[in-house]
Amino acid sequence: MILRRHGPWALAAPSALFFLVFFVAPATHLFLTGFWRMRSYALSHEFNLENYAEVFEGYWDSLLFTFAMAFLIACCTTLVAFVFAYGTRFVFPRWSAALLGLILLTLFGGYLTKVYAWKTILGSTGVINSALAMLGLTDQPIDMFLYNPVAVVIALTHYLLPLAILPLYGSLRAIDDETLEAASDLGAGRWRGFRDVVLPQCRTGLIVSFTLTFLFTAGDYVTARLVGGPVTSMMGVFIQNQFGSRFNPPLGAAMSFTVIIFSALVIIVVAFTLNRTLRVR
Amino acid sequence: MKRVEKAIFGILIGAILIFVISPFAILLLFSFSAGENLSFPIPGWTLDWFRKLYAQREFWSAFQNSLIVTACVGVISTILGTMAAVGLVRIRRRAGVIFRSTLTLPLMLPPLVLGISFLTYFVTLGVPLDLSTVVVSHVVFTQPIVILIVYAGLENFDESVVHSARDLGASSLQAFFHITLPIIGPTVVGAALISMALSVDDFIITFFTIGGGNTLPTFMWGMLRKGMNPSINVVALTLMAITIGVSIASMRLIRYRG
Repeated sequence: MILRRHGPWALAAPSALFFLVFFVAPATHLFLTGFWRMRSYALSHEFNLENYAEVFEGYWDSLLFTFAMAFLIACCTTLVAFVFAYGTRFVFPRWSAALLGLILLTLFGGYLTKVYAWKTILGSTGVINSALAMLGLTDQPIDMFLYNPVAVVIALTHYLLPLAILPLYGSLRAIDDETLEAASDLGAGRWRGFRDVVLPQCRTGLIVSFTLTFLFTAGDYVTARLVGGPVTSMMGVFIQNQFGSRFNPPLGAAMSFTVIIFSALVIIVVAFTLNRTLRVR
Repeated sequence: MKRVEKAIFGILIGAILIFVISPFAILLLFSFSAGENLSFPIPGWTLDWFRKLYAQREFWSAFQNSLIVTACVGVISTILGTMAAVGLVRIRRRAGVIFRSTLTLPLMLPPLVLGISFLTYFVTLGVPLDLSTVVVSHVVFTQPIVILIVYAGLENFDESVVHSARDLGASSLQAFFHITLPIIGPTVVGAALISMALSVDDFIITFFTIGGGNTLPTFMWGMLRKGMNPSINVVALTLMAITIGVSIASMRLIRYRG
């Protein structure tokens, strides 16, 4: 009887325990680390706010840059993903299975692989430059393709696109064709139907896609390292340094939580704005 | 009007597909190019890069580590996640949804932050970093995915067949293994394969939790740091073959139709 009543909770217990021990505990520990300091290469548990002060004083420009990049990449990716999902759902519905299958495959195509591929494409002796030279269009390699923020935007948009397409397609698929037909029977043009039926109903998809891409970009360091060059000072690179060459975990922890908290704020504002502007009229 | 729309979206979707696929095509192309540089014109074709890479002992040890990690992650996250999903669908709807969203929180943190939180946690506890810490940290982000997929599968599942079995005298375990599991089995296997594909591909978290050795992505990172070399294409291709093979199998099993 007890097992019957508490059975469902008992089944979820191992998973919850794992979650507590290996997610909540490490995350809490990292949060606390942000308020400690290093003394002669050892963690010393003295409470202080200096790490956060240093983040805002020494790194405010990189913080702004990181959020600008994350915002730009999240907007680009969500927009391109929306175009793809919309076309797949409403313009070429017969091809939807094939198109989505293809996109889903590239989702698993490998993170490092994709970033590396862009490095070979954009490099000064890379695919684009050598192709341009071969066609006689340029006589000198163009260096400006690689090691700049634009390369990071291209590589991350490419990586995140499948991730952004899936939730958007999911919410577009949920729209009834009959609702759209009803709107058009009542005299709504294609644009009215799009604005008053399609957009309001895919708010959730837009918000989820934006959130996923924004969070990933805000915490990325691999892409910035490989194709961004030294001018691309993303917070992720500084965070990773605190656990590598710089070895200052408290500062790294403070940086991490600053990024997370500000990301959450940006996402809340964006979600609120989308909910307001795209609501059903 | 319709025709104009078709033309515009045809061009846009075509362009997006080219953007998405061309990097992979280029990787594939240059894995067989005889040139040292990854550039046009291609001087000739060769299998040397495959031979060179597959002759390295470090590659095979990374390959083996990747297989070990992904197999363990697949088993552990599938068992934990399926049990949780089976439990959660039976809890009152509201509580179940809240519980489920809580358990999927790890997907909301950037991998970098997850990685460093595991690193500082394990170091503080004095746990030596090796493949087992990699497995544990992978399960943290793959278990939520199994929960989400299996939960979604169970929502469409008709509970009444289980009740019939129970009325006919089956124990709850018997009912689970003879009725529930055969029906949701493909979904469970599909979820397991997706978690394995994500585990094989993970670089960031593995980088922080592996200590010594290598898996395929960290091995590839090591090669990248030494400079460009066509053998990197072959590592990338090998990794891609594994993840794409696994994910095709999983999509067939969970019958993903978009």
